Amino acid sequence: MLERVMQVGEQAELFEIESESTKIGFQANKLKSFEVEETQGMAARAVVEGRLGFAASSDVTAVDQLIDHVVASARLGDEIPLCFPESRPGPEVQIYDAGLAELPPPRLIEMGEEIIEAVLEADESAMVNVDLTRRVRESTLRNSAGAEVVVRKSPLSIMVAVERVRGDDVLALFEYFSTAALDEEYRDFVSRIAEKLRLGRRSATLSSGQMPVLFSPTGAPLLALPLIHGLDGKNVYRGISPMARRAGEPIFDEKLSVLDDPTLDGRPGSSSHDDEGVPRRRKALIDQGRLTGFVYDLKTAALAGTEPTGNGERGLFSPPSPSFSNMVVGAGKTPVEEIIAGIDRGLLVETPLGLGQGNVISGRFSNNLSLAFKIEGGEIVGRVKDVSVAGNIYQDLQDIAAVSVESEWVYGGIRLPYMLLSRLNVVTKG
Amino acid sequence: MRERIDAAVRSSKADYTEIRLEEGESTRVSFRGRDLETADVAIDRGGIARCFVQGGGWGIATFNSLGDLERRVRQAYEGARAVQAEPIELAPVPASEERITVPLSDDFRGVSLADKKSLAQEYNEILLQYDPRIVDTHTTYSDTFSRVTFASSDGTYVEEDRPMVNVAFSAVSREGDNVQRAFEAVSKVAGFGAVQGHHHLAETVAERAVGLLVAPPVQGGRYTVVCNPRMAGVFAHEAFGHLSEADFVYENPQAQEMMVLGRRFGGDILTIADDGSIPGLRGSHRYDDEGTPTGRTDLIKDGILVGRLHSRETAGKMSEHPTGNARATSYRYPPIVRMTNTFIEGGGTSFQEMIAGIELGIYACDAFGGQTALENFSFSAAYGYMIREGELAGLVSDVVLSGNLFVTLQHIDALGDDFQWAEWGHCGKGQGGLPVSMGAPHVRIRDVLIGGE
Repeated sequence: MLERVMQVGEQAELFEIESESTKIGFQANKLKSFEVEETQGMAARAVVEGRLGFAASSDVTAVDQLIDHVVASARLGDEIPLCFPESRPGPEVQIYDAGLAELPPPRLIEMGEEIIEAVLEADESAMVNVDLTRRVRESTLRNSAGAEVVVRKSPLSIMVAVERVRGDDVLALFEYFSTAALDEEYRDFVSRIAEKLRLGRRSATLSSGQMPVLFSPTGAPLLALPLIHGLDGKNVYRGISPMARRAGEPIFDEKLSVLDDPTLDGRPGSSSHDDEGVPRRRKALIDQGRLTGFVYDLKTAALAGTEPTGNGERGLFSPPSPSFSNMVVGAGKTPVEEIIAGIDRGLLVETPLGLGQGNVISGRFSNNLSLAFKIEGGEIVGRVKDVSVAGNIYQDLQDIAAVSVESEWVYGGIRLPYMLLSRLNVVTKG
Repeated sequence: MRERIDAAVRSSKADYTEIRLEEGESTRVSFRGRDLETADVAIDRGGIARCFVQGGGWGIATFNSLGDLERRVRQAYEGARAVQAEPIELAPVPASEERITVPLSDDFRGVSLADKKSLAQEYNEILLQYDPRIVDTHTTYSDTFSRVTFASSDGTYVEEDRPMVNVAFSAVSREGDNVQRAFEAVSKVAGFGAVQGHHHLAETVAERAVGLLVAPPVQGGRYTVVCNPRMAGVFAHEAFGHLSEADFVYENPQAQEMMVLGRRFGGDILTIADDGSIPGLRGSHRYDDEGTPTGRTDLIKDGILVGRLHSRETAGKMSEHPTGNARATSYRYPPIVRMTNTFIEGGGTSFQEMIAGIELGIYACDAFGGQTALENFSFSAAYGYMIREGELAGLVSDVVLSGNLFVTLQHIDALGDDFQWAEWGHCGKGQGGLPVSMGAPHVRIRDVLIGGE
């Protein structure tokens, strides 16, 4: 197959994926569905007379059409000084766990029941939906430069959605956990959900104004998302990242460090190579507030005249683009309890609404919060509703009051601590 | 193919069995700035078998290889048996047999990839050349043509062609640290002609992106807000529509109490409905993905909650009628309760009358996005204007509406005489982007929380 793509141009690449998964679904506290999924697909890229083309198919028998399509695409493609990489070793990282790959469905069902029980113990009127998915995914990348990279992973993901309705008062949580190693960490994830429900029983009022705002790991993506966009090599090359042309400068508070770390064992975002066969490596992008790098794929690096960083990621139907493997915001020195104890009157942000909406790359944010708590006299006193926070990370992260020792994985591939900003604008109904 | 599908359905030992196959081809041309991101054609084929067993539950198998359908039915059946769920009753629907084709004048499948690229490039050039402060653009052309075949053990067999053609323009402007963007799109169940001739729309996007650079961010606070039809349509879908999906209430007594039919949700002027049977809209199909015929469902009529959206399962459980709202994003997913074309009915107030009495307010236009946590919502307007002393004043940026649904619906006090369907709409519930339409007139809402610094 690769040979056939090679015949049409001077460079060729074939990317194949195969995955199998089993998903157990609970709805309204009860076991509801059992789903098996088999996925196959192939994508080709070819450079024909210097021009790059792309084609994909989930029908692996449609070989002739794929070849026709990639040639047609290359004829119209841009001339790009891109070279598919030669075979080079990448870091060794554990992302396949046979115990997880073969976890029997009855065990998944047990885990789901255990999760629901723990949530109901915190609040018996809660309605809980849980999906547990175990998957084995294998991707094979081969190119005309001789690279052949097989990445096999066994991710387990757990989605928990909780709704609690009392009159017109609704508390909704949507939480996501993932791992590529068979361990007990999901239990901590579940106890944090239970804790949020317990704290959400009491309500509190807060008046608008400037105040200290503490972002929990599930709240901090509000601050991290503009960083992810700003550190994306494509946005830098295009000149729309506010961090473009500022490499080496101190942009943020010394307490802020951001890593791209594909070498972490047991994380679904980790791997030895990216989806273009480039070896991955751990790298600091923001080091104690100073900008030290961006993430690039092959094409963007070629356009920008820089080196690829092993961050080319792709779905089946899209050409690769730059993406973090695991985004890790460095933990700090203060225990979260101590941070809370030091707040006289402020807000704890647990769940922002509308994440990713609006003008994210500018760094400005203004979001309603679906779950937030009032902190008073150094303690969490109750849930605040109808509240929104607004700011601009390029100003607000220049002065971070505290970063916690504790940190958590959220949305699968982002590890975040608690982060305290000492003055942020909070608008409430009260 | 039909024989193979029928044979596979017949081979099932389950109480209910369905198979849905999808075979499609899509084209995409995408420019970022001066660079072509891709001009490509993708082939997508796959299917899903879904079984239900009394005393068991739902079993589902999804796949790409369309070879051995009986094996897929077996996998689904075994899944269904591995589950012990509560008894499920599917509300009955009449068996249908139909082959639905969509006549396209100027079928995009007959247009060359080169011509599609040229069209996207023309639009992209308009954005790029408008002003040097436009630092980035994203212009895409895309089309997709898929044939979906649905067969169930209740005797329904429907084959439907699903064509769609789209163009989307986005421009990013920058001056120092100030970065702004603007977006417009056209999406139609139509041929290539439907996406030609939108040069003026591309220019509007460029103009707005540059205009927003000097627009001050809105001052946070509570305002009277006039939503343009596109913003109001997103509001109807996101803030209210999702609560009227029966899968939210059918197993949750507290939620049923909150959404009890007969409850007053708004003033007499307010009517909100969903209708999957309006020809040519993005959310329209003759049948939903369970083979139920689509139609109009009033959700709020004259301010009172009168209906909700159902699948066969939620309707069966609540002893109501299926409404044709069981939809799936693709063969990767079982159908769940989704909206089709959701709208706020037009009223009698002209735009001028609507803003006339407002001393200090905001005209919120289009939505970058919206998200709700049931009764709480947050919407980012793509752009907005201040309203001062009854007239539109300057452009403002970073307009985010947030609030509580129940309170906000009660605060709707005027509906425009200018109903419109948006040209673009996606719903992200559970399974990611499913085409929907949203419609509304201009809508005036008193006392809305606007975030801001």
